[in-house]
Amino acid sequence: MTGINPFEGFGGTILTVLLSVIPIAVFFIVFQLAYLKLPFAYISRIFVGVGLALVGIAIFLQGVKGGFFPAGTEIGEALGNIESKWLLIPFGLLMGFLATFGEPAVRVLSDQVEKASAGSIKKSLVLYGISIGVALFVGLAMARVVYGIPLNYIIIPGYILAIILVFFSDKTVIAIAFDGGGVATGPMAVTFLLSVAVGIAASIEGRDPVADGFGLIALIALAPILFLMIIGLFLKVKLKK
Amino acid sequence: MFRELKSLALEVIQAILPISLAIIVINHFVIQMPTAVLVQFIFGAFMVMGGMILFLFGVRIGILPMGQAIGAELPQRRSIPYIIAIAFLVGFSITVAEPDVLVLSDQVDTVTGGEVPHFLLVAVIGIGVGFFMAVAIIRIIFGFPIAYLLAAGYAIIIVLSLFTPEQFVPVAFDAGGVTTGPVAVPVILSLGTGFSSVLAERSTIGEGFGLIGLASIGPVIGVMLLGVILY
Repeated sequence: MTGINPFEGFGGTILTVLLSVIPIAVFFIVFQLAYLKLPFAYISRIFVGVGLALVGIAIFLQGVKGGFFPAGTEIGEALGNIESKWLLIPFGLLMGFLATFGEPAVRVLSDQVEKASAGSIKKSLVLYGISIGVALFVGLAMARVVYGIPLNYIIIPGYILAIILVFFSDKTVIAIAFDGGGVATGPMAVTFLLSVAVGIAASIEGRDPVADGFGLIALIALAPILFLMIIGLFLKVKLKK
Repeated sequence: MFRELKSLALEVIQAILPISLAIIVINHFVIQMPTAVLVQFIFGAFMVMGGMILFLFGVRIGILPMGQAIGAELPQRRSIPYIIAIAFLVGFSITVAEPDVLVLSDQVDTVTGGEVPHFLLVAVIGIGVGFFMAVAIIRIIFGFPIAYLLAAGYAIIIVLSLFTPEQFVPVAFDAGGVTTGPVAVPVILSLGTGFSSVLAERSTIGEGFGLIGLASIGPVIGVMLLGVILY
């Protein structure tokens, strides 16, 4: 880390973002020509929107890569060397919450849930639910790194619990909970939280940064599924009373 | 439009400021990063905020209406094989183009020592997502409960994890998370809500959601099967 160049690799970022939207844009154009035949003004507004979204996400990703990633690595390496390792657990709770709170796809999902439910499920409930769930599991992931708990001991019971919860939950809650698992693993988690975790694992003896890194993402994906269904059950019981 | 941008800007500042301040506080009291890293971080935080405002605005006026238009058009053809084929193709192509999937295939290289060809892994993950997107669409058409599908998918994952070579298990779980990137999420979401909004007897809420969750199962099963077959 010598010179300051936050735009390093920006061309690559733009290219990957462009690639990711091409398939769906092609579908849309084919549909438009064959069946939809939407008015030109509407179509051009959509394309302006898609363009803005692409430029926006490219800048966002570049900021995460150029700014949050190196900072995360520094923090991780420094924290891996602290005396009282248990401090990593509250640190994980805090960072897990804040990173998810800033995750763009989590915002999109929470927004859509409020809109589709005509306001009966509040955006803030989904947003805070996912963020707190991830916070708990990043804390758990830190405990795993500190005390060397194998990933399977957490993941397999977690998946079994998810299956059990599914049979007691409302179908709307189930759908939103599992979607939450997908959106929580966005760039903030995959790039920033992972860099912190890998930095920590690299400075603690006997930990494999690659294996511990993998585990973090799997735990973050599981967190909203369990936590949102538990909130859903809790609210259902409360409403019945 | 201006008012919308302003409220979005407020939301984004509220989303990104807490983590940025936390990092600066940690930097001040706990560790001292090199100045270059700190300056770069502050610059990056501004890029993240600006980028997110543009992204969320563009999603609202561009990507969501686009996905909804495609989703709402699908049932009009009244041909189930056609709907299934399109759902599979959308899931497959959006995954294959996802940048994180390429990162994942590099990680798999480190686990297997480069024995799994990239195109094979990418194809397996793409087929996994495409298959489950098709299943998810069939589910919406026939009103099959999502609980059974998810429970079955997760049960298959648990059973498979017992037979999958140990080094493949974490990669497989990861594959489920990384495939649904920030561009794929609004596309899949709006396809689902658009599709179910046209089927009159289905309420959008509850039926339109769940596609992302189902799509995340495919890659996990795909990568585990790849591990079982290859080793």
